[in-house]
Amino acid sequence: MKLSGLITLLLFHLLGEAIVQLTGLFIPGAVVGLLLLFITLLIRGQLSGELEQSSKTLIGFLPLLLILPSAGIFFLGENFNDQWLAFAGAIVAGTILTLVFCALLMKLMVRQHD
Amino acid sequence: MTELLTSPLFAITAVLAAYQLALWLYEKSNRLVWLHPTISGALLVAALLVLLDIDYHRFSDAAYWLTFWLGPATVALAIPLYQQWHLIRKMAGPLLLTLIAGAAFACLSAVAIAWYLGGSETTLLSLSAKSVTTPIAIGISESVGGLATITASAVILTGIVGIVFVNLTMKLCRIDDDRIWGFCLGLSAHAIGTARAFERSPVAGAFSSLALCLTGSYSAVFIPLALQWFR
Repeated sequence: MKLSGLITLLLFHLLGEAIVQLTGLFIPGAVVGLLLLFITLLIRGQLSGELEQSSKTLIGFLPLLLILPSAGIFFLGENFNDQWLAFAGAIVAGTILTLVFCALLMKLMVRQHD
Repeated sequence: MTELLTSPLFAITAVLAAYQLALWLYEKSNRLVWLHPTISGALLVAALLVLLDIDYHRFSDAAYWLTFWLGPATVALAIPLYQQWHLIRKMAGPLLLTLIAGAAFACLSAVAIAWYLGGSETTLLSLSAKSVTTPIAIGISESVGGLATITASAVILTGIVGIVFVNLTMKLCRIDDDRIWGFCLGLSAHAIGTARAFERSPVAGAFSSLALCLTGSYSAVFIPLALQWFR
């Protein structure tokens, strides 16, 4: 089993974290790693099969990795009881409005673009 | 016994088993939206914790080895972004403008509505990254002073609302173009929306992945800056 793809991802994550620590940036280190890797790929102009495979595997496991943080929704604590209306209301209404806003805006621009 | 129930061995075994069962339920139900592995898996884990009277935070700490991989998984999003670069370039203008305005709208609308409904400051801050894919959202939320658990829950709920309402809203806006359909869903509803977009068509899926990556990267810069400016 080859680990080079996974090691590349870990190294870029590490690099991102190091840059965040050194500069005090408020962007998560993993996001800095994402951007650095993306730029590196653009410059190199090619993607190794192992890196592609590792990426696919990790992204495929996202639903698994998200289970534990998601379960936290049931354990927000008694302090959160008075927040549920604001929480759920903002998410339901906000998400529907965002879909409509983006759809109308993009439709307008694509029509002009095409 | 409490020692064992909050050990990494038990926590990781339980989460993996919950995932496997959730995946099976999802496939059996013909991919019913409400049984998405993340949703049903979380329900199973929550039920187990309540049943065995285990503290969520201790359990969560014990499974750190799993949560750790969210970081490298975020870095891994660079690959689909790179692979779809030729699609982005062709439509760069409309995509970037929709991204800039739409991701800001997703953040500000949630914060404004929660504020109107009387949400606390922590709730508002935790909601700011609700349309961003979880690994990035948690990082953003923590950097602006929100709580990771509230943010993770907000992101999941956002994804569910997105895929439940996407057909209705797109019909309302008379959208047939798969590029628009996918990009808007990925921007609003991150990874859960992207999975749904791939069910519609490969083009919708590609544009949704694109929006997922772009919204995450852009929001990581925009949200902390915007909230810093508001304070």
